[in-house]
Amino acid sequence: MKNLLPLTWAVAANSFGESVRHRFFTLFSVFAFTAIYASVLAGVMAVDEEARVLADLGLALMELTALAYVLFQASSSLLKEAETKTIYLVFSRPVPRWIYLAGKMGGVMLTAAFMLAVMSCMHVALLYFRGFSLPAAYGWALAGSFCKLAVITAFAFFVSLFSTSSVSTLVISGILWTLGHFVSETRFMAEHAYGAKAVLLKAVIWLIPNLQLFNARDAAGAAAAIAPSAFLSGAAWILAAYLASLWLLARKEF
Amino acid sequence: MTSRAVTFSKVEKTYKRPRLLGAAYHTAVQDLSFDIPTGEITGLLGLNGAGKTTIMKLITGLLFPTAGSLRVFGLPPSGQPAKAKVGFLPELPYFPPQVKPGAALAYYGRLSGLSGKDLSLAVEAALERTGLEPHADKRVAEFSKGMLQRLGLAQALLHRPDLLVLDEPVSGLDPLAIHDIRKLLAGLNAEGRTIFLSSHSISEVEKLCGRVLIMVRGRLAKTVARAEWEAAPGGLESIFVEAVK
Repeated sequence: MKNLLPLTWAVAANSFGESVRHRFFTLFSVFAFTAIYASVLAGVMAVDEEARVLADLGLALMELTALAYVLFQASSSLLKEAETKTIYLVFSRPVPRWIYLAGKMGGVMLTAAFMLAVMSCMHVALLYFRGFSLPAAYGWALAGSFCKLAVITAFAFFVSLFSTSSVSTLVISGILWTLGHFVSETRFMAEHAYGAKAVLLKAVIWLIPNLQLFNARDAAGAAAAIAPSAFLSGAAWILAAYLASLWLLARKEF
Repeated sequence: MTSRAVTFSKVEKTYKRPRLLGAAYHTAVQDLSFDIPTGEITGLLGLNGAGKTTIMKLITGLLFPTAGSLRVFGLPPSGQPAKAKVGFLPELPYFPPQVKPGAALAYYGRLSGLSGKDLSLAVEAALERTGLEPHADKRVAEFSKGMLQRLGLAQALLHRPDLLVLDEPVSGLDPLAIHDIRKLLAGLNAEGRTIFLSSHSISEVEKLCGRVLIMVRGRLAKTVARAEWEAAPGGLESIFVEAVK
């Protein structure tokens, strides 16, 4: 039992190392820098609202850049290990599959945290360069972005275990990400619908994680902490996706 | 009585391939019963598709048998205790090209439960044993096929397993590399390790093994002991050709 934590950490550190060594990581870094720098231009055009536009656009671009890379990693990670047969070297060793899965997911989540940390340093530097102070709830916004990325990472791992290609995993996870930002609207429609349509919409609300809960900067006054219930809901989603992935992985042969 | 490293008892493995409507089934091995005695080098011969790799994967717990029973040192092969006693070299092992051999081995050593000083000693010993020590500063991308095979063997040796399962260990190697690997395997066997290897090279199997299993279309066609092929006029080759015809 005492070996389980080092084992999980070994898989996670290896997964993180592979993520940041990937050639696409450099491309994404260049893109992120360009995109965040471009938000300065948008801010200048906003005249009186420059600080807000610069902060919000930068945060949104950071989240989307990290999302794209994290989804790419989560959707291809297990598939690549199976294709290159490195998974043989892992599963022929005394590595429980639940540890391996936790390590792999943890590695991609570490990548997400690392990307957000590096990009936020660039973003904050730009804000100070333009003479603005750190916006309210900036830390909460970053925490919210990370929670969203963690939820979608866990879901992408689950999809990658039954999907035939990493592209289909990317598409399905992308759709879930989009739907996750429209849960309030879906709830409104469900409340006004009848019969089978209402049942379907209510089921959708249960099946799709409400990613709006993590949008700290959307809250009234544009500066609010994320409620503890949101973190609990995120943790529940990650756990559900992890357990569903484990159910599939435990039955998988290589 | 000789103890057994591996026991197959009426093992069958059928692959299921999902199709648009239903599924297609392919039986890779069937009614397979044999033992691998401890301390011996046992070879596995067969044409392509005879079920050699399936057997290797069943022993290492990468595949689960459809029917029958399979034990590794008396334990179920998919469990952690059995896996801790087995070292596996798959055919054409892959390592990330940008890492150095020591880093690759350290990762697999950690997965085998090694840490701290034990890990660094195990990595050093595996590099030395497989002759990779002079290449320790190179990246895997610079490795030749022979060096990659040695690295594959090194990762299988890290945790000092009692049983080595080697899928085509000399496939595509030059004569000198084959000679070195043969010497290494003979040395490991002399230490008391059980070795189970598959190969297309009859001459290599003939030189190394004490016993050979010949697979034909998923079934065990013949088990041949060294004394038998040494007494046969055409050696192991004639016995193999006769069995697979």
